[in-house]
Amino acid sequence: MSELYRDVGVVLRTYKLREADRIVVLHTEANGKVRAVAKGVRKTKSKFGARLEPMSHVRVLLYRGRELDIVSQAESVEPLTPMLSSLDRATLGMAAVEAVDQLSIEGEPDPRLYKMLVGVLRSIAEQPSALTIPAFYWKLLAAAGLSPVLDACVHCGESGTEVSLVAFDTNEGGTVCRACRSGVGISQGAITVMEEILGGRLREALSREESPLTHEVAALATRSLEHHVERRLRAVAMFEVHGT
Amino acid sequence: MSFGSSHYTPAMQSLIDEFGKLPGIGPKSAQRIAFHLLKLPAEDVGRLAQSITHAKATVRFCERCFNIAADVLCPICADDRRDSTMICVVEESRDIVAIERTGEFKGRYHVLLGAMNPLEGIGPEQLKIRELVARLGPEAVEEVILCTNPNTEGEVTAMYLARMLSPLGLRVTRIASGLPVGGDLEYADELTLGRALEGRRTLET
Repeated sequence: MSELYRDVGVVLRTYKLREADRIVVLHTEANGKVRAVAKGVRKTKSKFGARLEPMSHVRVLLYRGRELDIVSQAESVEPLTPMLSSLDRATLGMAAVEAVDQLSIEGEPDPRLYKMLVGVLRSIAEQPSALTIPAFYWKLLAAAGLSPVLDACVHCGESGTEVSLVAFDTNEGGTVCRACRSGVGISQGAITVMEEILGGRLREALSREESPLTHEVAALATRSLEHHVERRLRAVAMFEVHGT
Repeated sequence: MSFGSSHYTPAMQSLIDEFGKLPGIGPKSAQRIAFHLLKLPAEDVGRLAQSITHAKATVRFCERCFNIAADVLCPICADDRRDSTMICVVEESRDIVAIERTGEFKGRYHVLLGAMNPLEGIGPEQLKIRELVARLGPEAVEEVILCTNPNTEGEVTAMYLARMLSPLGLRVTRIASGLPVGGDLEYADELTLGRALEGRRTLET
């Protein structure tokens, strides 16, 4: 194993370290989660500049260290400018990187997660939508093999047109019928939107205007992902309180 | 690691331990400082000890701008010659020192005591934002300059404040981003260079 290695990745978060350094946490394509020290990055004349800020998509050259790697060079793959062009985009981007931070594991490459993250950040930069983040969360859960059951009752397995699915149970991961009711109530509209997201009609879902329906889908998505990672997602909570 | 506690007297060990808690000071540096102090004359050490306790006892936050102060108000808030129609919003009182050194700003300041960081759970409630809004009317503020750090947290904070303050009918400005004087253009990152181009100005001839 050579001491130096190259990879592409997205910066998930940063921690201040000593006087002018930062620990940068990236989700990379080939190495999974990487924690590396960026020396002097907080100085105005740092060669890294804004390239290692959260949500940056960068090509990096790293030294393998004992505990933390060291960032030797960083080059932008995509500009960060659109992400910091509005408060909405910045908060959506933060919600995306926070979720990936929870799912990404050190030493376990997950190129699909990398591709999904790059995709969602691009989508936020181009055209943020009320359902960008909820759709991303559902897709993450589906990628983890936790696609919710939406066409039958997860309890009794009852399906068909005569069953009315009235609630969504995050523990069970799907809709439940009136007789088995548990979890939180769900509207038929929300089920339709979730089917759009998970059934290959994402474009239709993303073109929906913000409404009580999108809020319902968003709340369910957050709750389900929180259930999976066993943690509260902070960025999204802040966004719901101070959202547009 | 074994910095064997048995090798020092309890007094010496406790001194080393205390220094070791300071930012950027490891066990070795802590030991070096402790031994250095022992070599100094008693009055020098006394003066140091007194400065620490004195500073801790008298320094507090300015009631108006949350800069560090020796009195109810910090020297800047207490100075009548400062232009009270302009408020420069910064993250930490250290930033005030940096801006004051430029000598370019004659207004007053407001320290937020941090920046919004959604990933750490630091939201607007944890910062001195309500206090800033409360100042705007009574002090007849006309312009708020957002001087938070040009990183993600600082940008988010600035955008949040801009959204909140703009409807109040005052001028809200953001400190410019550009190339550091003395640096090379080729090393500039895209975001900074892009902003530097965006904020270009006509040269006086």
